[in-house]
Amino acid sequence: MMDRSYKELLKMRRFPHTWCPGCGIGSVLKNVAMVMKELDWNHQNTVAVSGIGCSGRMSGYMNLDAIHTPHGRALTAAETIKRVRPDLNVFVLSGDGDLGSIGGNHLLHTFRRNPNITVFCNDNEIYGLTGGQAGPTTPQGTKTITSPGGDPYRPLRLGRILTQQPPYFYARTTVYHLNHFKTCIREALQWNGFSFVDIISDCIELNGRRLGFKTVHQMFKWFDERFHIVEGVRDHLQEDELGIAKREAEEVPRPKEEAKVKAAPEVPTEKLEAFTLDELKAFDGSGGKPIYIAYKGKVYDLSTSPLFQGEKRMRCHIAGKDLTKDLDIAPHGEDLIFNFPLVGKIEG
Amino acid sequence: MKLLISGNDAIFEGAVRAGASYFAGYPISPTSEILQRAALQSEEDPKFQFLQAEDEIAAAIATISASLAGAKAFTATSGPGFSLMQEALGWGHVVEAPCVFVNSMRVGPSTGMPTQPAQSDLFQIKAGSAGDYYPIAFYPHSVEECFRLTVTAFNAAEESLSPVILLADAFLSHLYELVDLGKIKTEIVSRTKEPLGTGQRLFTGTAHDKMGNVKTSDPLIYREWLWEVKDRHSRVAEKYPLFEYLPRKDSNVLLIAFGITSRIISALKERFSIFRPIRIYPVLEKELREVTQSYPRIFVIEGNDEQYATWVEWAIGRKVMKVPCLGGGFKLNWIQSQIEEQLKKESR
Repeated sequence: MMDRSYKELLKMRRFPHTWCPGCGIGSVLKNVAMVMKELDWNHQNTVAVSGIGCSGRMSGYMNLDAIHTPHGRALTAAETIKRVRPDLNVFVLSGDGDLGSIGGNHLLHTFRRNPNITVFCNDNEIYGLTGGQAGPTTPQGTKTITSPGGDPYRPLRLGRILTQQPPYFYARTTVYHLNHFKTCIREALQWNGFSFVDIISDCIELNGRRLGFKTVHQMFKWFDERFHIVEGVRDHLQEDELGIAKREAEEVPRPKEEAKVKAAPEVPTEKLEAFTLDELKAFDGSGGKPIYIAYKGKVYDLSTSPLFQGEKRMRCHIAGKDLTKDLDIAPHGEDLIFNFPLVGKIEG
Repeated sequence: MKLLISGNDAIFEGAVRAGASYFAGYPISPTSEILQRAALQSEEDPKFQFLQAEDEIAAAIATISASLAGAKAFTATSGPGFSLMQEALGWGHVVEAPCVFVNSMRVGPSTGMPTQPAQSDLFQIKAGSAGDYYPIAFYPHSVEECFRLTVTAFNAAEESLSPVILLADAFLSHLYELVDLGKIKTEIVSRTKEPLGTGQRLFTGTAHDKMGNVKTSDPLIYREWLWEVKDRHSRVAEKYPLFEYLPRKDSNVLLIAFGITSRIISALKERFSIFRPIRIYPVLEKELREVTQSYPRIFVIEGNDEQYATWVEWAIGRKVMKVPCLGGGFKLNWIQSQIEEQLKKESR
């Protein structure tokens, strides 16, 4: 007999649930609960977070401490909870509209910060709860109630965005390819870092019927035609491939801090022309004269500096003056000065 | 030891004294210094968590999520950022997450005049988010008071189980004063809410019953919940009826001012009576009525166009005279001339 112990993880007293008959969300909920049971994740060590929409209601059916956030904010909430309570397992149950559109900014930045959380995205390519409007992942040309002439825009390719720089874990699967689906959930939950499972799911009532499907089975067959499973671990997935793309963090070699600092040019001081500070004042670039400045008792010709641009003043540096003290607060080192010709020394 | 510190420093120190262990924020003047202090603190103290979020929406959501996860959390921003945080503020009230939002006001609307001081976000604390909610807000007028009231705000948050707002202004944030923080005695209210991972609760922004079950079509359950929240918030607010009253027997004119404006007009205390509300919201209805009774003429001097004056008129049931200090101009001479002019006009 089938093991039904996963039901401990679901609030069975709240069933029947709120979703339409034939919806793919039930399958997502059940399979996530089954894998959690396998891994022994329970209400003492796990928190579920969800956003808004049909799929946002999933957390309310998990028999855990669950957080139901405002639209799009599930990832931020999940990341924060993991950070404050690293002992807890945190996962997100949400949809493509919530994660990809209103939460798009959070998706980019949570991915960048790479917290150890898992995201299950019920990707039905439509806004379901609000009545079937075009979503960020709706294929181009699809007719919806907000795109009666066919959606004019190209869909968001979550698979490309979330595999652009390692470390990443991105899996694409469907609610129809059940074994593959469970494998993806298992691997994602065990991945150390930010993992994202893009679950292609069906919305028969608000999307499927408008596309001409009469039953869920027809939609599943359509999934089977559109996608095929690829074996092994990939770096990236094509748009028609189901599988796992993952890469560990690359060890970025830190640029070695070589001593590139130029030393002061070694010229015997006797040979240099001597200036007093008063004489130096005349060389301020006015009337075609060169721009001289003094640094540590030596005089440099800064006329070719693009920063002075023939002006007397470059930000806080004034031509014809001793700038030794200025360098302490400057955002650059003294090597900038040594790039210029040495023309004299200071006397007196 | 007495230290020369700014209002921002005092707010941060106050939060640490109150036991805060999480800060999320986004750079904005005039509260960027609090963000910087938090970054330093997280380097020094591994228990202190800090997030520079991708925007204020994420910062506010992270603050509330951290509170749900068990940390005393706070965030700091200015008017434009506070506008983005309104969504999370509403969510925080429904999921009952104790935390503190610091809003150091500058001239608005929108980007306004960065960074000129203003006091124009009073309506935003009460009416910025959707629906009915009952925020508590305090407004200090000195660096020492910034410290004390931050602790008070954290305590009120724990008692009311909701986000509490600490107002300041650009002036106060960057005001430096000598304060001996070590000598200031404070009482700390500790967390009573059970942390995550101990139950099967649902924290949802959707209307729900006491068990956390989503109930979106039962007016009775909603009303019961809302009255309970309102009652709790007014009980906590009554615990902190903070104000300062400087009566002057020979004057029949009362000046009402708060925050930095009250500091500026304190030079007029030899001529007029002065009332300074510290708890800005809920409005000090009873106290205002009692104090204003004996004054035929009342002035409300504030850095916005009649926001607090509207509340005073509502509370005492008669008209008051207004001196709006707009666009960051808080000149004592100007305020004084406005008062004289309006008094002269009236006596004619």
